[in-house]
Amino acid sequence: MNATHPMPGNTRAERSVSTYCYQCVAGPDLLKVRIQDGIATEVAPNFDAADVHPAGGKACVKAFGLVQKLYNPHRILHPMKRTNPRKGRGEDPGFVAISWDEALDLVAGKLNAARAEGLIDASGYPRLAASFGGGGTPTAYMGTLPAFLAAWGPVDMSFGSGQGVKCYHSEHLYGELWHRAFTVSPDTPLCDYLVSFGANVEASGGVCGVKRHADARKRGMKRVQIEPHLSVTGACSAEWIPIKPKTDAAFLFAMIHVVLHEHERTRLDLPFLKHHTSSPYLIGPKGFFLRDPDTRKPLMFDLTTQRAVPYDTAGIDPALEGVFHVDGIEVGADQEFAAHFNFAATPAFGRLVEHVQGYSPEWAAPICDVAAATIRRIANEFLDHARVGDTIEIEGETLPLRPVAISLGKTVNNGWGGYECCWARTLLACLVGALEVPGGTLGTTVRLNRPADNRWSSVKPGPDGFMDYPMNPTGRDDWISRPPARSAHRTLVPLAANSPWSQALGPTHLAWMMQKDDFAHLPAASPPDVWLVYRTNPAISFWDTKAVSDAMAKFPFTVCFAYTHDETNHVADVLLPDCTDLEGLQLLRIGGTKYVEQFWDHQGFSLRDPVGPPQGEAKDFTWISTELARRTGLLEQYNAAINRGAAGVRLSGPNYDFSLDPSVPHDVETIWDAACRAANAELTDGAESQGLAYFREYGLRVKPFPRLQWYLYPKLVGAGLRFEQPYQERLFRIGKELERRLHEQGIHWWDRQLEEYEPLPHWRDLAGLWEGALERHFDVRIDDFPFWLVTARSMQYSWGGNVGIQLIHEVAGNVAGHGNVVMNRGAADKLGIADGDLVEVRSPLNQTKGRVMLCEGIRPDTLLMIGQFDHWATPYAKDFHAPSMNALMPMMLELTDATGSSADLVKVKISKLESAP
Amino acid sequence: MIADLERCVGCQTCTAACRHTNATSPAVQWRKVLDIEAGSYPNVSRTFVPVGCQHCADPPCMHVCPSTATRQRADGIVTIDYDICIGCAYCDVACPYQARFKVDAPSFAYRDAELKSEIEREDPHRIGVAQKCTFCSDRIDFGLENGLTPGQDPRATPACVNACIADALHFGDLDDPDSTVSRLLREQSHFRMHEEIATDPGFYYLYGKTGQPDDDARRPAAAAADAGTLRTRGVEPWHQQHWDWKAAGNFVCGGAGTGLLLFVALASLRNGSSFPLAWLALAIVALGLFLVLLKIGRPLRAAFVLRQPQRSWMAREAWVAMVLFPLGAVAAWYDTSALLIAAAVVGLLFLYSQAMILREAKGIPAWRISLVVPLIVTTGIAEGAGLLLAATALLPTLAPVANETALVVAILAALRAWTWRTYLLGLRIEGAPVRAIVVLERFRPWVFALGLALPLALIVLGFVVDGVRPALFALAGLGVCAAGGALKFILVTRAGFNQGFALAHTPVRGSGVPGPAVKPGWSIT
Repeated sequence: MNATHPMPGNTRAERSVSTYCYQCVAGPDLLKVRIQDGIATEVAPNFDAADVHPAGGKACVKAFGLVQKLYNPHRILHPMKRTNPRKGRGEDPGFVAISWDEALDLVAGKLNAARAEGLIDASGYPRLAASFGGGGTPTAYMGTLPAFLAAWGPVDMSFGSGQGVKCYHSEHLYGELWHRAFTVSPDTPLCDYLVSFGANVEASGGVCGVKRHADARKRGMKRVQIEPHLSVTGACSAEWIPIKPKTDAAFLFAMIHVVLHEHERTRLDLPFLKHHTSSPYLIGPKGFFLRDPDTRKPLMFDLTTQRAVPYDTAGIDPALEGVFHVDGIEVGADQEFAAHFNFAATPAFGRLVEHVQGYSPEWAAPICDVAAATIRRIANEFLDHARVGDTIEIEGETLPLRPVAISLGKTVNNGWGGYECCWARTLLACLVGALEVPGGTLGTTVRLNRPADNRWSSVKPGPDGFMDYPMNPTGRDDWISRPPARSAHRTLVPLAANSPWSQALGPTHLAWMMQKDDFAHLPAASPPDVWLVYRTNPAISFWDTKAVSDAMAKFPFTVCFAYTHDETNHVADVLLPDCTDLEGLQLLRIGGTKYVEQFWDHQGFSLRDPVGPPQGEAKDFTWISTELARRTGLLEQYNAAINRGAAGVRLSGPNYDFSLDPSVPHDVETIWDAACRAANAELTDGAESQGLAYFREYGLRVKPFPRLQWYLYPKLVGAGLRFEQPYQERLFRIGKELERRLHEQGIHWWDRQLEEYEPLPHWRDLAGLWEGALERHFDVRIDDFPFWLVTARSMQYSWGGNVGIQLIHEVAGNVAGHGNVVMNRGAADKLGIADGDLVEVRSPLNQTKGRVMLCEGIRPDTLLMIGQFDHWATPYAKDFHAPSMNALMPMMLELTDATGSSADLVKVKISKLESAP
Repeated sequence: MIADLERCVGCQTCTAACRHTNATSPAVQWRKVLDIEAGSYPNVSRTFVPVGCQHCADPPCMHVCPSTATRQRADGIVTIDYDICIGCAYCDVACPYQARFKVDAPSFAYRDAELKSEIEREDPHRIGVAQKCTFCSDRIDFGLENGLTPGQDPRATPACVNACIADALHFGDLDDPDSTVSRLLREQSHFRMHEEIATDPGFYYLYGKTGQPDDDARRPAAAAADAGTLRTRGVEPWHQQHWDWKAAGNFVCGGAGTGLLLFVALASLRNGSSFPLAWLALAIVALGLFLVLLKIGRPLRAAFVLRQPQRSWMAREAWVAMVLFPLGAVAAWYDTSALLIAAAVVGLLFLYSQAMILREAKGIPAWRISLVVPLIVTTGIAEGAGLLLAATALLPTLAPVANETALVVAILAALRAWTWRTYLLGLRIEGAPVRAIVVLERFRPWVFALGLALPLALIVLGFVVDGVRPALFALAGLGVCAAGGALKFILVTRAGFNQGFALAHTPVRGSGVPGPAVKPGWSIT
């Protein structure tokens, strides 16, 4: 049974249960729950995992909210149905309790009706839609629902609940392209110098991030935090540089300028650039690689033989700079060829040097409002710490040691400017050979490439010596002109790819926007017949939350898996109470390399073991999923999906088979017992196959994960591949093709986004872009909105869906800024605003109210609102009266970048409503 | 206990873990992490500082505890026996680290809806008594009984240390040179908070490598001027919460009553009688003590106040009262000067005890200053004289002593004004919470006007204008008395700002040198 350990302090009947917390993307945290007289009373770290978990088995503060979450008196504990057909914020839903039978029949009836009409509606969109919470965390709680969705067929997951505007969107897409880095992290255990542009790792890096950065500080790592306000991460950094919002790209460009124009080339990692990047590739007159006419391989100029040769010619010394007269062809958009003879070609690196010539620190200083000397010093320190030429042995293999990295935070790495910043960050790593090597900049997970559980195995040879990437097609014959999901990600965003994650990564606001106004030359908008919602509250967490709320109120049938009443399930037709974190049963894959700083030396599985029977009539998600499958006639496909691994582990392998009988429904424990057996077999190559009882006793099981696989460099070198830096020829071509396809279909409203497909990105006046867009769209004078409003993640709340938990609210209150409008004191003085005053913060779109907290750690032109609040239905949280920026941010195409995201900021004005009490 | 300020990120996991493990009520955070900002834009630092009971080697909370509820174990852990504590909150105002809590009624996360977990862990023993961090002494004891090493084995280690995700908190035996905590203190620069108060706290803060110079170049602007306006709420001194008007009433009544008893006794030397005023004096003192009875969390245990006269001035006050009332009653009953004088002397001891109660409240800078003793004693005596002067107008038999009483009142009012002035000056020299000084300075002219100038004017006028002399003397006496009462009321209920929190250094963060000291909300930083 459950693991029992003598626990001090109590003699009552007690035991402890092992489980995990995956309330945020930085999970899972492993923990133990103390149970006294059958009641869960206490959360504690799981020290049984101390030797395998990167943070010693510690659990983050959010996990300590789980006991209150379990017993919260505001929980919905019975299935409920809506009695008021009118939907909207002002309408009382009139929810009444019903039986599970009635609720499931109701839901299955709608699903069956939709299915009977066809899985796809007249516009080509899936009739079933589903929205889940941030970063895929709900999958750690939804049991076998993925198997049901797989059994169902096409499901539209593109109704966003925060994606794009609240995530690291550009980083996700470009990161995966360049180094299989859906999320990017410094190799913190070895890094000595980290430039962090707003990356708030102490708030969003989870226990592994916090532990690793604390260890790194003690080791002497210098972290420079560049951001408009002094976040908790800035607080824990050696230096804070208050940069003007959304000008980070200029700072980064100036760093590149310093490295390339103010230092000897020998300071760079020239072998890395020559042999592991596309720096030597020659560029043709139209901006495409100059290629060998026979093989169509990109050409480099060999300094030894003084002639142009294909990039994969052995034993050459390619030129990085200079002008070389060569013959070759260019392959442009739609395979258009252009032949050139004796063309004066420059290598990509040389182009780069020219490109950044004007981006000096003196140029960047007034843009960023940071002294040129400071920018220059940071660039020099970056170079000084890079230790070009040093090596380190990892598991017997000698690798470069480059202990410098740059990390980017939200609003820096999404929206306009995200491309520039991600490119510059990745390029700076390449210049000193610090990409995907010990101490440098690493990717930690893959989500768009397959297979997703291992970065190394996702590395496959692609064109021109680069890794392959599953771009959405842009060719004449294969471009997907009719979007298969309402975000149109496959139509508009080649980089979004087509993995199970892709829909949720497209321009998800388009799905909401088109509910109001069709986009010209795309199929007419249609609401989903059935919309499933789990662990998300887009009526609060997205941008322009009023527009989103209005749109969802028009959906014909919404099913919310409901914890408490909230602003989204206010428009639901059926509420289904699922087991909360501590009540449900699930086996989860852990370890390897995952989000943020989650790179482990182990990999395996952990069990989420219920602490006791569910409260009220809450049901385990696996039971609900099985019932939905049974009632929709999909049981066989559902069980087959489980057998294939849709619940996290494939039930059969080369020498074991614990597959379930597909023809009959299985109870929850049977399903997870089979999963546990398969997991044990997978971890032991079939030697062991203990079931649920094993994981209940031990909580987790792991096997070693090679540290060498933290780094992509050895895999790329082994495969003879190069990092696709600095010159983005592939994207340039795809952009041209996409432009043609869209224009052929008459679509011109995506033209601005097409400008992003530059092979070497130019600086754009991003502030001006924002300001101009707002002025035009709202017919306002932007000078009337003098402040940038930004946000920051809160370790206590982010992703947690825990806004109604008293303990979390209480302890978050100890961290300055929660629930307030944070403002610079000097700026407030000028406006006659005092600490504690009630103010209105108004953007051209909307307004919010809150009490001011004055501080010195924020730029005078910037306001800060931490987290996402503004609740009006969620019990407990609705009494906070905390400001939130989400309602203030307009969903606009002009503010949407080519990857389909926007940055999380807006221009506002502030006015005092009443004095502090 | 060690908190590494370079590591701490202010995440509050320790706070939440402590709330879980110790099942404290909402907002009762035995362990919490402060978020302290210092400097001015753009040279700003922000430091996260775990705080809680410092388990001082010389704990003022224990010294003041009248009931012996607060004790110190052989291993240095300061504990509270909930079954003995009377809930007087004297320890609360004696603690310079704001580490103590008192919850007078059960409270729950969701108001009236008591959660199952709260029902399971509810502990009625904690209601109405002092509570604070115990360093999870039950875990330590469990560990030691089972051969485990506190600070090493999680089962023998405080929950906050176990929970800390940054490894910022460390616990162990400082007497063991090989322990982790001993090693950390050897290897790294450290300070203890409020070291100047000399309580020898057992909580150390690491802020950098040993031998690193401090960064005076980035010294922030003095934080004093910003107290209460900047982001220093919960860091700069705030007003103590537990000693309200009822507690102030004890000082008001105790001073006036014992002062009156003194002058009744002196008057009896002249008149041979105390008239009924001795009874009145005793009644006033009793009223003050009755108000205290209404205030304490566990009034049924009030007698426990007598348990620790060896250390606690509150216990001493109670013991003196135990002598004062019977002796005073006998003296009043038999109305003999000798007995009255004896009772008055005991009354003065009572008054002195009250002054020392404030003096020993180490957590309240405006009280703990030594000059509070002459102030409280002087004003008590002046108030007594004032009351007697007022009585001369009402009791014809006292008329013969009216003139000399008026002179004495005038002298005592002047003496009190001098001690008041000296007290304020001393406070400024020693340093105090800015807001306490603001309160006292705002009140200062009123003490002089109502407590000195007006009574003197009335007395002089009384000597000049014969017909209304009794009335003028009475007004003067009442003025002196009222000013004294107001002074003590203000001192306890308005100027009782606590120590707040301060840093001797802001920490290094990976690279660089430690920053300067931070002491927000203080007149002297």
